[in-house]
Amino acid sequence: MPVQILSDPQIIQPYLSDESKVTGQAQSISFPESEAEIREVLLTVRQAHQTLTMQGARTGITGGAVPTGGHILNLSKLNRITGMGWDAERKCFLLSVQPGVQLNQLKKAIAEKSFDTTGWSAQAQSALRRFQQSGAWFLPADITETTASIGGMVSTNASGAKSYRYGSMRRHVLGLRLLLANGKSLSLNRGEQFAQGRQLSLRLDDGSQITGQLPAYQMPQVKNASGYYVHENMDLLDLFIGSEGTLGIVTEVTLALAPQPGFTWGMMAFFTREQNAMAYVHALRALPQAEQPSAIEFFDQACLALIRSEQEQLHAHQNIPALNPAAQSAIYTEFTAESLPERDEAINQVADLLNAAGGDEQATWLALSRQDLEKLVAFRHAIPESINRIIAERKRQYPNLTKLGSDMAVPDDKLDWVMKLYEDTLNQTGLEALKFGHIGDNHLHVNILPRNEAEYTQGKQLFEQWAREIVAAGGTISAEHGIGKLKHALLAELYDAHALIEMRTLKRCFDPQGLLNPGNMFSLEA
Amino acid sequence: MEIVVCIKQVPATTRVQLDPRTRTIIREGVELMLNPFDAYALEEALRLREAHGGTVSVFTMGIPSAVVMLREALAMGADQAILLTDRRFAGADTLATATTLATAIRKLGTVDLILCGRQAIDGDTAQVGPELAEKLGIPHITAISKIEQVSTESLICQKMVDEGYVRLRIQLTALLTVVKEINTPRFPTLAGFRRAQKSDILIWKVEDLDVDPGRIGLEGSPTQVISTFVPEQHKTSIVVEGTLSEIASQILASLQQQAGREQHG
Repeated sequence: MPVQILSDPQIIQPYLSDESKVTGQAQSISFPESEAEIREVLLTVRQAHQTLTMQGARTGITGGAVPTGGHILNLSKLNRITGMGWDAERKCFLLSVQPGVQLNQLKKAIAEKSFDTTGWSAQAQSALRRFQQSGAWFLPADITETTASIGGMVSTNASGAKSYRYGSMRRHVLGLRLLLANGKSLSLNRGEQFAQGRQLSLRLDDGSQITGQLPAYQMPQVKNASGYYVHENMDLLDLFIGSEGTLGIVTEVTLALAPQPGFTWGMMAFFTREQNAMAYVHALRALPQAEQPSAIEFFDQACLALIRSEQEQLHAHQNIPALNPAAQSAIYTEFTAESLPERDEAINQVADLLNAAGGDEQATWLALSRQDLEKLVAFRHAIPESINRIIAERKRQYPNLTKLGSDMAVPDDKLDWVMKLYEDTLNQTGLEALKFGHIGDNHLHVNILPRNEAEYTQGKQLFEQWAREIVAAGGTISAEHGIGKLKHALLAELYDAHALIEMRTLKRCFDPQGLLNPGNMFSLEA
Repeated sequence: MEIVVCIKQVPATTRVQLDPRTRTIIREGVELMLNPFDAYALEEALRLREAHGGTVSVFTMGIPSAVVMLREALAMGADQAILLTDRRFAGADTLATATTLATAIRKLGTVDLILCGRQAIDGDTAQVGPELAEKLGIPHITAISKIEQVSTESLICQKMVDEGYVRLRIQLTALLTVVKEINTPRFPTLAGFRRAQKSDILIWKVEDLDVDPGRIGLEGSPTQVISTFVPEQHKTSIVVEGTLSEIASQILASLQQQAGREQHG
C-alpha cells in the first residue's frame, strides 16, 4: 500500500509549529514508516514541484521543523531501535536508531536493557545478549529536553549540560544513513570518507558521486551550532551532523554508547556574591582532565528569585527546599566516580576549591542519590519552563511577544568579559532578564522577558549588539540551538556574505532545487 | 528532645526480585535508596531538634552496605547513626523487625519521640511503626502531616484521614509515622557531608542486644510469604488517532461499548 499523503487541513494544523511557537503553513503531510516510504514521498513531492520540511518531535526552539509551505515529512513513526553492535576498536556498544525515536524512549531501553528485537539480525541479537551481560551503559549526548527525537538531535548537533565533559551529539554519532534530494541513498560511517582539503567528493551507495567545494570559512573555536560544520580534510559524516536537514534526510543513526560510571553525584553551591561563583568556575576549569566535572551550570539571582517566588506563590517546586534569599547566584556541578572512596575524596577536593573561592559549605547542597540528582535536574529544567509560562501570560496582552533566549558562546578567556557585557547592557536598558546555562563552556542562555512591544524590539536589538561584539571576540551566535528560521540575521553577523554564498553553493550540490527544509539556516535566494 | 528516626533502604526500582527460597526481597546487587517516606521523618526530626534542641539518632536494620545511607542521614544533620546488621536479623517479618528495633532503641536510653515513615515502598505493610510502639509500650499515631505545639510532656499533631485532617494531642514518649505532606526534605550539605565522614557509625549485632534469638529474623517471624505473583493487568491503553472529530467519535463509541458490556454483564 502506498504511503498516504494527507491534505486535510485539520490533520495538518497541529503540525504547523514547534517549540519556537512560530506557526508556518503546509499543503500536505505524511507519516512514513520506512526508508522506502520516505523515498516514495520524496519523489511525489519533487514531481509536484513542492518543498519538504522534516519533523521529529518538534521540540526545537528556532523553528527548524516549522514548514514554509509544501509538504511536511513527519518522521515520528520511524521510531524503532533497529539493531545493536559491538565496536571492537572503540570498545563500545552501538545502537542503530531510526530518526523518530525519542531520547527518553532510547534512554529507558538502554537503562532497562530491554529492546523490541523484531526484525533484528542474528548478529544484533548476539550483541544484545553480550550487552545484557555487561555492566550499565548510557548515551552521553544527554540533553535536558528528553522528548526530543534522535533525528532532531543529529540535525541540530544538540548538546546539554553534560556536553561540558562529553561533547555534543556529533561525538556520539558513528554513522548515518541518508536519503538525498535526488532519491539516492548513502550509508556513511565515521572514518570512511574524507574531504581533500576543502574539496568534496562523496560516494553514494550506487557508486555515483557528489562533488563540490566546502565553504572556506574558519569556524569559531567554541561550542558551536551555527552554519555548516566544515574544516579541511574533514570526515564527511560531520558535514551532515548539524546541517539542519538541508543536505539530506536522515533515515537511520548509529550511536555509540559509553560505560556508565559507577557513581554520579551533583552539587548545587549557592553564593552571596557572583564574583565568588565565577572564581569557583575558574577553579573547576583548572582541574586536571581526569578530575573535571561532567557539567558546570550557572544560575543568576533572577533565576533564584523566580524559583523562590514560584515556591511561595504558586506552591510549585515543592520537592526543592526553600531557597535562601541571600543567595545571589548558584553553580551546579556534576561529577562521576568509579568507587565510593574515590567519590568521597573528590567531594573533599571540590570542597577545598569551593572554600578557596569564597563559597559556603553550609549553603551547598549535595545530591548523592539518583533521586536527589533528579530533583536538581528538575530544578534546572524548571527555569526555562517558568519563563515560557511568563511569556505566555504576557502574550495575552501583546500577542507579538516571544521569548528572547540567547545561545551565544565565547572562548574561555572571554568569560568574565561576556558576563560584564551582559550585566552592563542589561542594566543600561533596564530590561528584565535571567541568565542561566552552560557556564563551563562559556555558554549562557540570557533570556529577556519583554514587558511590552517596545521592550521586545529593544531586546532583539540588544541580541544583535551582543552578536556583533561576541563574534568580534571569537565567539559564536548559536552554540546549541541552531539557526533554524529565526536566527538568519545573527548568522549574518558570524559569517560574511561570501561565506553565505558558499553555504548556498554547498547546499545546491546536494539539493539543486532547494527541496529539503527550505529556510533552515539561510534562504536559498540571497 | 531525644528523637529516634527509623529508616530503611528499599530497591530503587519497581522491578523487584524475590528470593525463591525465603520469598523475601533480594537486596544485594540491586540499586537501593532511602525509603522516600523515611526522608520526611528524618527531616521532621531535624526541624524539631532545630526548634527545641536535643539529638537525632537514626536506626536502620539492614545489610552492611546500608552504612552508605546512614552516612547520608548524618550528612543531612543526624547526630548519630546505628546499623543493626547480622545474618540472624535477616528474613524478618514486620513483628521480628519491630522486636529487633525495640530492643535496640531501649539500649539507646531515654527517648522522647520516635518518627517513622508511613510505610516502606517495598513491603507496603505500614506495620513496623505501630508494632514498634506496641513493643515499647508507648502510644502512636499514623499518617501525621503536621507537628505543632511541642512540650516536654506532649505534642499536638495533625493526622491525615480520608475525610480531611484530625488534630490530636499525644503523650510523650510517643511514636508517629509521617506522610509526605509534612515537609520538604533538605539535601545533605557539603558541610554535613564533611562532618559525617568523621562520625562513626555504630554497628550492633545480635550479641549487642538484649533479645531472644528465637524472636528475630526468619525464625522469629510468625508470618511467612507463601507465594508472590505479579497481579494481572486489567487496564489496557488504546491509542486513538485521526482528526479531532474522528477521535471524539471513536472515544464515544468505545465508552458506549463499555457501558453496554457493563449493563449486560
